[in-house]
This record gives sequence, structure tokens and C-alpha cells, in this order.
Amino acid sequence: MSYETTASDDTETRSLFGYPLRRVALYGVLGAMTVFYLVPIETGLMTAITNPDTYTGTYPYLPPLEPLIPGTGEFSLGPWSTAFDGLKSGLVNSLILVVPATILSGLLGSMAAFGLTTISWRGQIGIYILFVAGIFIPYQAVLVPLTQFWYNVVPLRVVFEPFALAVPFIEPYHWKLVALIVTHVAYGLPICTLLFRAHYKKLSDEMIEAARLDGASIYRIYRRIILPLSIPMFAVVFIYQFTQIWNDLLFALTIVQFGDAAVVTQELVGIGVSQSGTNFPLRMAAALLAALPTLLVYVFFGDKFAKGVAA
Amino acid sequence: MAALTLDGVTKLFTDDDGSDIVAVDDVNVDIEDGEFLVLVGPSGCGKSTTLRMVAGLETVTEGEITLEGRRINDKSPADRDIAMVFQSYALYPHMTVRENMSFGLEESTDLGEDAISDRVEESTEMMGIADLLDRKPAELSGGQQQRVALGRAIVRDPSAFLMDEPLSNLDAKLRATMRTELQRIQEDLGVTTIYVTHDQTEAMTMGDRIAILNDGVLQQVGAPLECYHTPNNLFVAGFIGDPSMNFFETEVDGETLVGDGFTYPLTAAQRDAVGDSRNITLGVRPEDIDIEVGGRADAAHEYEATVDVVEPRGDENTIHLTFDAMAAGSETFTATVSGLRQLQAGDSVVVGFPPEAIHLFDSDTEQALHNRSLETAEAAEYAV
Repeated sequence: MSYETTASDDTETRSLFGYPLRRVALYGVLGAMTVFYLVPIETGLMTAITNPDTYTGTYPYLPPLEPLIPGTGEFSLGPWSTAFDGLKSGLVNSLILVVPATILSGLLGSMAAFGLTTISWRGQIGIYILFVAGIFIPYQAVLVPLTQFWYNVVPLRVVFEPFALAVPFIEPYHWKLVALIVTHVAYGLPICTLLFRAHYKKLSDEMIEAARLDGASIYRIYRRIILPLSIPMFAVVFIYQFTQIWNDLLFALTIVQFGDAAVVTQELVGIGVSQSGTNFPLRMAAALLAALPTLLVYVFFGDKFAKGVAA
Repeated sequence: MAALTLDGVTKLFTDDDGSDIVAVDDVNVDIEDGEFLVLVGPSGCGKSTTLRMVAGLETVTEGEITLEGRRINDKSPADRDIAMVFQSYALYPHMTVRENMSFGLEESTDLGEDAISDRVEESTEMMGIADLLDRKPAELSGGQQQRVALGRAIVRDPSAFLMDEPLSNLDAKLRATMRTELQRIQEDLGVTTIYVTHDQTEAMTMGDRIAILNDGVLQQVGAPLECYHTPNNLFVAGFIGDPSMNFFETEVDGETLVGDGFTYPLTAAQRDAVGDSRNITLGVRPEDIDIEVGGRADAAHEYEATVDVVEPRGDENTIHLTFDAMAAGSETFTATVSGLRQLQAGDSVVVGFPPEAIHLFDSDTEQALHNRSLETAEAAEYAV
């Protein structure tokens, strides 16, 4: 015991410029790790604001200051506007997809968890096991059935077309996005249910019983007691589902395949690539642009997210 | 008129292995309109299950529960016209006090906003929490939360209150205050109340009548002092009263009881009550034991004993005694004496078990054969 104290005292007393050595080492490592993580993003950002014509041969991580410092490339916002033009329809499609899909999977997950946790009925464990099993179905196993399902089994396209023609702003190709929304909701539901269930298990049974004695129906208990108490968990689920669905490429390739309904991740694949070479500033700008919405979601829901994770 | 009747109420739970567990066994209680009935028993005795059956939170396996003469077995909790107070208070954490108390009225009545608001304010004034209306439960102390929980029940103006250990989460001092307040409110409102507790002091002090439950079986229903002085059986005698009644295992030998290290002569009436029973448990309450220091055991019901431990309580001392200090594992018993009497551990004393204060129980059936005489008791004004 006393030996250990002496040993640690020794390290404390060794110092560099008056600071304890241990502390200097700690901050050194932290600084190095910060640089390690931030350099790729910084490089991407610097590349994205360089004029593509002057890009070749520069150091990508240096800011473009061509007239002042030769060999660094010329500053330009051109890649951003080109990227925005190129991704515009993909961004819109992704938004049409991600907003309803996220809200629906959160809402349905919460309802399913309420039904499986707070209310007791015969056979609920069996149903719950089916939900849990859903988490473990690999994506690869459903790709072919998914295509068959949406293109050959369900006549969604035929049903959707007359509707799309009658309603403004809705185009016939949106049926693919509807199919994608349903697919993402179905695939996200098990994990959402699991998250909400963990939260609902911690709610007091006596509180639910008090609400029943107060005359509230099952629906009213959900609406007035459970739903307001789920807000932190909704933040967690929304951030998680938003990121998952926004970043997904596999289902989009499977269901949308090609055409007007392509989402942003699909368009990102081909942007800035041509036979004459790769336009790196454009690719970087496009990548940052495509990642922006997920960042914004973290910023807006971050504090609630922290509460939900801690809950 | 809101009399509540439990007629042959039974609850069976099915265990995982398929066997049935009897949680509540054929309980019959008639609770009069406006009566305060305390359901008391050790944990796991089925008292909460009984209450939850009345509330409609558990199904009734057998028997009938009627409120105001109407059978409520199959009614949903919301339609039974009852309000319940939970041990954990069960307040809605995201709602203010006002919203917590309005919730039930909004969900179960057609009252307008103003009418609800009036009723909520009226009951918060009654509970002394009118200044807390806009606070959330997390911002309230335990005692204040307790008042909100009671207020939430009162505001509903139900035919019956059900209370499941509502005071057990409070500290001792606050519990005593709330006990009196709860009684006052119940008396003012005149609402039929079932109050569940494991604390026999609460049962004794609060109830118009108490119902003692053990292992799902009703042991006795009666006024608190009736249960205290004339217990039906060994369980009630041991459960009601603190410190508990002393019990001595004895055998009948002619006109006397022979115990471990003492003999106790019976009066003629006591001998008649014993009848053919062979094994008798002799019971005597700690406050009925007379203690004399340094005397000699010369009378018929006096014995020499040694003070083992003295627990001072201020108003009285609890004395743990033993007949034979030398014998290991010798039976100990307790007596209470005035707090001003000086007794030390190790003192030799003479204890007297007055014949008019003893209880006799059949050791095999555990039923009471003879209870103390009330004519000579201090509570002489009380008549059974």
C-alpha cells in the first residue's frame, strides 16, 4: 500500500517545463488522437473548396490560397453548387423517404412495445420472440425476395399510378419510395420495439393501474401517459433510424434500382466520376452535402438523445 | 349508501408448473357504509391481492364482491366507482399536481373544465396542497406526493377508497401525522374505506374495525380492542400488540398447567374452558406481568426470574426476562414497566401472571379457549 503511494508520487514529481510528466503524456496522446480523427474531415473540407482545374498536384489538406501561396490550388465554391445540382433530386427523394419512414418506425415501435409490455395478454411472449427474431434476419437473405415482392407480388405500381396523377406534387415514380418506406419501417420495427420495450419495462405498474382506475382506456393510457413519457426514447430512435435509412444504399439499389426515384446515396456513387478522371473536389463536396442532414439531426436531437440513452 | 361486501372471495394463482396457489381463501367481510376497515397481516398474506380484487386489478376466482348491493366482479376498474391510493403514490411524473388530479375526472366524467378545476381546487385545499398545483411530482417531497395521491382519490368522489399501504414510504414522524389526518378526512367525507397495512399499530389506531389475514385466510374481524383483548386464535394474539404477547407451551395436569420450569394453577372457569385439550399455550401480554424486585415467589402465580435485557423507551421500559439465567436456551419473555422504574440486567425479580389477565390457547388447533377477563382490566369501560 505505502509502496504504491511512493511510486505514484515519483511519477508526479517528474516534470517537463513545470508540468507533471504524466499530464503532458496524457494531453500529447489526446492531441494526437484528435488530429488523427479530424484530418480526413479537414482534408475533405479543404478539397471541396478547391477549384477542380487547379486541384491536381496540391496537398489536399492545405487550404486553397493559390494567388498567395502557389501550389495550394485556387479557392472556389463551384464544387458545392455542382454537387448540389447533381444531388438535388436525390436529396429530395431521400427526404421524402426518411421523414415518414423514421416517424412511422418510431411510432409503430412504441405502440408495439406498449402492447407487448404494458398490457398483458395470452401469447404475447410468442409475438415478442418473432419481433426479436426479426432483428437477426440478414439483409442479404431478403434482397431477391424483396425485389420479387415489390415488382411481382404486390401491384403497388398499378395502384399508385392513378393516385399520383390525381394529386399534385406526387409523381408516378414515387411508388418506389413508398415501397422503400414500407421496407425500412418493417426492417426497423424490431429494434425500435426492443428499445421502447426496455424503456416501458421501467415504468411503474402502479402508475398504469392508477390510470386504469382513473377511467382511462388502453388508447388513452398510451396517448396521455405512455407517449409523453417516451419522448427521450423517441429522440434515440429517431436519430438511429434517420441515420440508418438516410445512409442505406442496399435497399435503395434493390427496390429503386435506377431512374427518377434514386436516393442521395445512389447518386453519390456516380457523381464526379468520368472517363477523363475523378473530380475530387466535387466528390468531397457531394459527400459532405449528403452527410449534412444526419449531422443536423444529431445537433437538434442531441440533448434529448443523451437523456434517452441515460434513461 | 355504499356498503361493500366480500362474500366467499377466493383467489387462485396458477404456478409455472401448473399447480394452484391459494392467495386468498374464502374471505367474508361486510363493510358498512362509511366504515374504515383495516386489512392487516404479515407480508404475503393476501391482503394486497384482496384489495386488488376489489379494485378490479385482479380477477376473482370464486365468490362475490358487491358495492351498494350491486355485484362488481366483472366490472372494469373504471366502472366500479372506487379510487385507490398506492404505496408508491403512482403519480404521473410528466403532469403537474393539477393535471394529476384532473386526469381521473377528465377520463371518467362529462364534467366541464371549470367544474373539474373547482373540484380539484377544493380537494387541494382540503389536503393543504393548494400552493403546489403547478408543480410536477419530482419537485415535491414524499409527504407532499402522498397528499397529492390522496387528493387524486378524494377528487373523484368515489363510493369507496382503497388504500394499499399508503403511509409506508413516509418517515415515522410524518406517518403519525398523516395517520390522524387521514382518519379526519375519512370521517369528514364518510366514504367507505379499506386500508391495507402490515403495521399493527396503524391497524389498531386507524380502523373502525380490523380484519386480520394470514396465509390468505381471514383470522378475525372486529374492533381493534376486541381483537387485542379477545383474540380468536394464537395468530391474532401474537400479531396484534407490540411488544407481542408472551406464549408458554404447557401441558394440562389436573387443575394446573405444567410448563418448562413453572406450574400455573387454573381457576375453575379456566379449567372448564380448557376441557379435554392436553397441550395448552399460555398467553400473557407484557403489560399485564407484575414485576417485584428482590421479593420471594410465595403466591400461586408468582415466579422467580432474572432480567436479561432492558430496552428503555422513555415512557416505558421493555424488560426481557428469563426463568433460569443459568440454563442455556432458556425461554425468554418480555414485560413492560413504567419508564421510571430502574431495573438492571441481571437483577433477580419476582414476576406475577395475574389469573384474570391470561389467555389460553389449544396448542394443536391454535384456537383460543379462554381470553382475559375484561372486568378487572384497565380498559374496563370497553365492553365486548
